[in-house]
Amino acid sequence: MTEFTLFRHTPGIDPTLHIWGWEIPVYLFLGGLVAGLMILAGARLLIMRPHERQAMVCCTIGPLAGLALLSLGMLALFLDLSHKLYVWRLYLIFEPTSPMSWGSWILLLVYPALLANALTHLPETIPALAKRAPMLVTISDYILARPRLVVAIGLANITLGIALGIYTGILLGTLGARPLWSSAVLGPLFLFSGLSTAAALLHGILVFTTPDAERPEFADFLLSLLARWSQARPLDTRIAPTLAQADNSFLTIELALLGLLLIGHLSSTAVHQQAAWLLLTGPYAAVFWIGVIGLGILLPLFLQHLELQHRIRHTLAPSLLVLTGGLVLRFVLVNAGQASHWAAMLN
Amino acid sequence: MNAPFFKYGMFGDEMSLVVAFAIGIGFGFFLERAGFGKARLLAAQFYFRDLRVLKVMFTAIITAMVGSFLLARFGLLDLSLVYLTPTFLVPQIVGGLILGFGFIIGGYCPGTSCVSAATGRVDGMVYLAGMIGGLVGFAEFYPRIAHLVKLTPLGQVTLAEQFNIPYGLLVFAVVLMALGAFVAAEWAEGRFGGKTPDADSLLAPARRFTPVRKFAAVLAVLGLVAAFAGSPYRTALARVDTRQLALDAGTKADHVMPAELADWLVEGRNDFLVVDVREPAEFAAYHIPGALNVPLAALTPDFARRNERIIFYSDGGIHAAQAWFLIRALGFPSVYMLFGGLEEWKDTVLFPAAPLADASAKDRIDFARRSAVAKYFGGTPRTGTDATPVAPAATLPKLALPPPTAAPAGPNSVPAPKKKKKEGC
Amino acid sequence: MNPYWAGFGLGLVLLASFVIMGRGLGASGAFTTAVATTVHAVAPGHAEGNAFYAEYLGDGTTNPLKDWLVFEVLGVFVGGFLSGALANRLQITIEKGPRISNPRRLLFAAFGGALMGIGAKLALGCTSGQALTGGALLNVGSWAFMLCVFGGAYGLAWFLRRAWL
Repeated sequence: MTEFTLFRHTPGIDPTLHIWGWEIPVYLFLGGLVAGLMILAGARLLIMRPHERQAMVCCTIGPLAGLALLSLGMLALFLDLSHKLYVWRLYLIFEPTSPMSWGSWILLLVYPALLANALTHLPETIPALAKRAPMLVTISDYILARPRLVVAIGLANITLGIALGIYTGILLGTLGARPLWSSAVLGPLFLFSGLSTAAALLHGILVFTTPDAERPEFADFLLSLLARWSQARPLDTRIAPTLAQADNSFLTIELALLGLLLIGHLSSTAVHQQAAWLLLTGPYAAVFWIGVIGLGILLPLFLQHLELQHRIRHTLAPSLLVLTGGLVLRFVLVNAGQASHWAAMLN
Repeated sequence: MNAPFFKYGMFGDEMSLVVAFAIGIGFGFFLERAGFGKARLLAAQFYFRDLRVLKVMFTAIITAMVGSFLLARFGLLDLSLVYLTPTFLVPQIVGGLILGFGFIIGGYCPGTSCVSAATGRVDGMVYLAGMIGGLVGFAEFYPRIAHLVKLTPLGQVTLAEQFNIPYGLLVFAVVLMALGAFVAAEWAEGRFGGKTPDADSLLAPARRFTPVRKFAAVLAVLGLVAAFAGSPYRTALARVDTRQLALDAGTKADHVMPAELADWLVEGRNDFLVVDVREPAEFAAYHIPGALNVPLAALTPDFARRNERIIFYSDGGIHAAQAWFLIRALGFPSVYMLFGGLEEWKDTVLFPAAPLADASAKDRIDFARRSAVAKYFGGTPRTGTDATPVAPAATLPKLALPPPTAAPAGPNSVPAPKKKKKEGC
Repeated sequence: MNPYWAGFGLGLVLLASFVIMGRGLGASGAFTTAVATTVHAVAPGHAEGNAFYAEYLGDGTTNPLKDWLVFEVLGVFVGGFLSGALANRLQITIEKGPRISNPRRLLFAAFGGALMGIGAKLALGCTSGQALTGGALLNVGSWAFMLCVFGGAYGLAWFLRRAWL
């Protein structure tokens, strides 16, 4: 006796597909994070004068972390592919109209750019490593002796970073079947979200490695192990406020772009409006308002604002919040996007 | 204004979580401000050194108590819809004692331990871990002690009902008791803790009318008002907003079409209550599946809660309309009546008429669909060109009979209410 | 903060919860939901077979963690952190009396927490859900519970004076 519901609701006619599990959001998050790290590293390399030794966290630790994180992201992406053996085919052609093709080529170029950036200042940051591999010193000296090469590396990082960041958003935007994603704002949104997470990561690394009387004992233990292993000097802490400031700017822009995305949808067709309401009051509202807006953007903005005014100490909290917020944003947008359809309004 | 907003459907479950988060921020903020993130400050309560716990807790209790009483009394808040944890006297006494032991041994209660953990207190974090261990232990033992947990049930009951004291009078008594306890607490702090009273406290040496003294005076006055204000619960006395009622009636906002209702029943929706206002005998002969029988003569507002969606029906519609008016006047916001009553229900749902021969394809499909609905409710679609009205009553489906074909949800079985998660702590 | 004003603020939050949600505050319930969800994830059969867990898992149509109290307690953490940060009270430390060692204090904290977990479930609520909320609503069980909490704590306080004084 279910014949009067045969118009819709049956999985055969109206599939509520969730094709993408955790892999894609994680990949998009890591991709954005790495894009942000590249831009910050490149910018730092360009702005810094050679005698300044503040580059360590931005120009060495950042790109090194970027290499590791990108590999993790690629692993997630690879796990999501159904035909894992055919990955190489993506590299046989270049399709200028396909973001997938753009992405796979960008990813291929990102590795050497990141590596070059990391190598530039590696011996100063991790002397122990340089002692064991003198090659590193040679490479670093080679690069630093050629200012135009340094500029080239910096520019390459910034350019590829922007391309990578925007691509993670465009990737969703081209899937026109999902109204929530059919917005040009998605590219810049993911770019700035990536920048904010990158600044937060670097800021967090700085705070974590700064000597602090009130840190729990186990953290100090970990740090001493790390220091003994790498013989690293404490990372330069003078740029912590700069990073917090930068993070706040990125977060503000991200908030504005999110607003634009939603306003754009709300002033569009009924389907788009419905897609926006999924986030605003629908089944994703709690996670969106609390996880993305509240904990991911507003609270760290407020905390970092207080830090910059020297009203509270620099803590790990804003960094962790921004990083979690960035991840949650990808999950919410990917999942809500898949729940939004063009036909939804017929229900 | 209809409060509690959530229970009157002003926002959904999803937004309630956002509200929960915001309220939690306020809760955590004031707990921390009270100094409750520090175990030693909390424990000082039990050595009469610093009676902060008592002061904060009872100030909060009397503030919320007086506030909710007055809002309810002036019709802004429906107190009967605010969730009251049911009383099980013996388990709650035993649980209270165990909790008290845990409080003095561990130094926190669950809420304060969250705040202490959030501000970096390792003991607060360990306490939380211990609590999780305790919960797992309790859960694993639960099947063996389940009968003990439900001992001595008194139901959802307030002190006012239990001891038959006017609610307002009790509010006043609690306010006075709390203010007395504050004075005693400040005295004890001086006696045992060697504390001199703060500049802004009840026993401050200054003769000034300090802000805290003003606050206490305001609470006492509001308590006195409460004592003479009567019952906070809404009574059977009706108040009519004629313009609103006329508007709703005139715009047909009060109608539910029989076909609509049938669809809802088929879908198994349970967010409404169908009420049959006819006599019990008529109800026994036939009624819409799942309906509740409340004869118009015996109509009191007790059959439903104020935030429920109620759909009245009678044979034609006059009695339903009268019931609609009475219940609306009592302040129930979402009351409807079945358009055309049972007559219309029979004509359009139980025995739908076949479309004419030259009807469009759309009408034909529609009829097929309505026939299926009719069969679901045990009726028969009228086919053939001579769609004569069926003789009522004689052909009405027998209620006792099972549905003609085994449907996933039988028509005469009320869909079981969805198992909602518990509301309490 | 002056305890009376903190209490007033707390009372207004509680009142707002009554007016907006029609329910009071809570804390222990959130942890029970979290425990039930975790057990359900590890051993689904075990959790569903246990009446206690089942009560906190809902009907399976929604994620049990999408629960009012879970989000409220999340807010409590954030609110406590914010207040602590603004007052410069954030500090990784152990709160204890001068005459007790760190490991002993932590042991006591864990044991007290475990008792609190058991007591709160027996009493259908903790100091927030029962004493504060039920107290303001003049709930019979809540007042009995509240008196017993104070009674139990005062009764045991003398024996534990070395831990706190």
